[in-house]
Amino acid sequence: MENKNKDELFTFVEYSPEAAEKTGYSDYSYWGSVFQNFFKKKSAVVMSVIFFALVIFTFIALAIGKYDYDKLLTDASLAFTSPNKEFWFGTDNLGRDYWCQVWYATQTSIKLALLVAAGECVVGVTIGCIWGYVRKLDRFFTELYNIINNIPMIIYMTLISLLVGQSFFIMAVTLIAFGWLYMARNVRNLVMMYRDREYNLASRCLGTPIWRVLTKNIFPYLISVIILRLALSIPSTIALESTLSYLGLGLGVETPSLGILLRNARNYFLDRPYLLIFPAVIVSTITITFYLVGNAFSDAADPRNHV
Amino acid sequence: MIKYTIKRLLQSVVTVLIVVTIVFLLMRMLPTDYFFTEDQLMKLNEQQKNEQLEAAGYLDPIPEQLFRYYGQILRGNLGESRRIQSGVPVVQVISSKFTISMKNGCISLVISLFVGVLLGIVQTLNKDRLLDHIGTGYTIFVNAVPSLVSYSLVLVFGSKVLGLPSMYSSRNVGMSCILPIVCLSLASIASYALWTRRYMVDELNKDYIKLARIKGMSSKSIMVKHVLKNAFVPLAQYVPASFLYTIAGSLLVERFFSVPGMGPLLTDSIQRYDLPLVQTLVILYAALGVVGVFLGDILMMLFDPRITLVSKGGTR
Repeated sequence: MENKNKDELFTFVEYSPEAAEKTGYSDYSYWGSVFQNFFKKKSAVVMSVIFFALVIFTFIALAIGKYDYDKLLTDASLAFTSPNKEFWFGTDNLGRDYWCQVWYATQTSIKLALLVAAGECVVGVTIGCIWGYVRKLDRFFTELYNIINNIPMIIYMTLISLLVGQSFFIMAVTLIAFGWLYMARNVRNLVMMYRDREYNLASRCLGTPIWRVLTKNIFPYLISVIILRLALSIPSTIALESTLSYLGLGLGVETPSLGILLRNARNYFLDRPYLLIFPAVIVSTITITFYLVGNAFSDAADPRNHV
Repeated sequence: MIKYTIKRLLQSVVTVLIVVTIVFLLMRMLPTDYFFTEDQLMKLNEQQKNEQLEAAGYLDPIPEQLFRYYGQILRGNLGESRRIQSGVPVVQVISSKFTISMKNGCISLVISLFVGVLLGIVQTLNKDRLLDHIGTGYTIFVNAVPSLVSYSLVLVFGSKVLGLPSMYSSRNVGMSCILPIVCLSLASIASYALWTRRYMVDELNKDYIKLARIKGMSSKSIMVKHVLKNAFVPLAQYVPASFLYTIAGSLLVERFFSVPGMGPLLTDSIQRYDLPLVQTLVILYAALGVVGVFLGDILMMLFDPRITLVSKGGTR
């Protein structure tokens, strides 16, 4: 006994799924329970059907419309035609078909929102995990967060629109560059909470690698929060895009988006409400349904609501 | 307590200083072409341009400019506006604008506090009944629908159905500031209602409320004496901050209704290379943010004696 060195007395056993199975069997599957819980809520299912139908229809609508966005001509004699058989949503102040503009703008908003949400999620969760798990970096990231957060976002947006220009891609990158902050902060707080729980301490003592602790022990607790943030992020990205484009700091005039449409219509929709009603109803339906679906899904994704 | 306040104050000064420095450096990234109006850009040749920039001190090395600017701040000289209102001291430009923003903001704050908290109370009293669902629907609508769309709807409804003016005008301030104030209040009513309801429901489920019921206290006095009082503590934290932020105005609302307030000033001054104005505005905003959070913490402590800032080191 005495002439054995420490390594021989105690060695880490590699993780093996079979051995883990032997300790106990349960037919619990995380995603199975998530969807089971989600489908129990009839209203949420209806909402998601509406949401997906609208998103798919956005693409169909452009195809079945009588005019192509790229080939729109300005024709003063057709200006402010009320909706009719030829122009399903009427025409704008320059006599251009409103149907294809509205659906094109909706598509732009959805694409941008999905892109930004995905980017925020990837960057935010990665940085949030590092921020929460590595104690030495906590101070650095906290200071970074405070500094970025204390400078009004409008300064960055104005500078970027003046220095770099305005395009779909620039807008997406900028929104991700400032949007990850809140996701990262949320994730960081949760990671810090769960990092030193007893079960993780035990896991670490048994030699579980860090990435396994993060992905298997901590991540399930984060999913519902991440989904909730995503559910909020899509409507808020659409709102931010419309605000910035309205102010001339977002997408350029040549990319039709909700903000640009409403900016053009601002002086006219008092007398011709259809210029406001069509985009408003479509975009609001998308954001409201997504918001509700996201909330329901994040409830369903919380492991504490399972069993 | 005093030690804590001083420490916190010093920290805030450092934060503001860092923010100002970063913005100063960011603004120097703008090409100097923005210094000139379009007219000047066409007429002046390179040499004349350089002379003007030289005279304004924008061609000196950046560290030199930065330290000169620190010196000016220390002497309390914030400079003069260049393009927004040529030659007028920055402080005067801001003070002429912020009264408008602050007046609208304060009216909207009072309205939304009153309506929002009331809505929250009504929702709690009618939990899971029709009025509660209507309130929740309103909150979801305001949170999910882009504010530009909801402002447009308010505008169409207000001016078509109620006949209110659709643009701000200095001749008819009373009537024409109604719609901007309504728009400003939409979101804050929803958030006050949401949090009041949340905190009150949380409070209602606590054991001491059950005890009060068992003792035979009437529902009404439980609501007023215990639930509302306790639910207001976390809510109170946000009031001073939102009061201070009214000075900053709202960019979108003020652009949308052409209100000549503080909101659009920052973007306008960046776009016109009015650097003294930009920097002063940034100092103002950063200071507002820092002071707002601090006041919130103090107010929370006054409302709830169990909370002390000194041992916990702030609630931020």
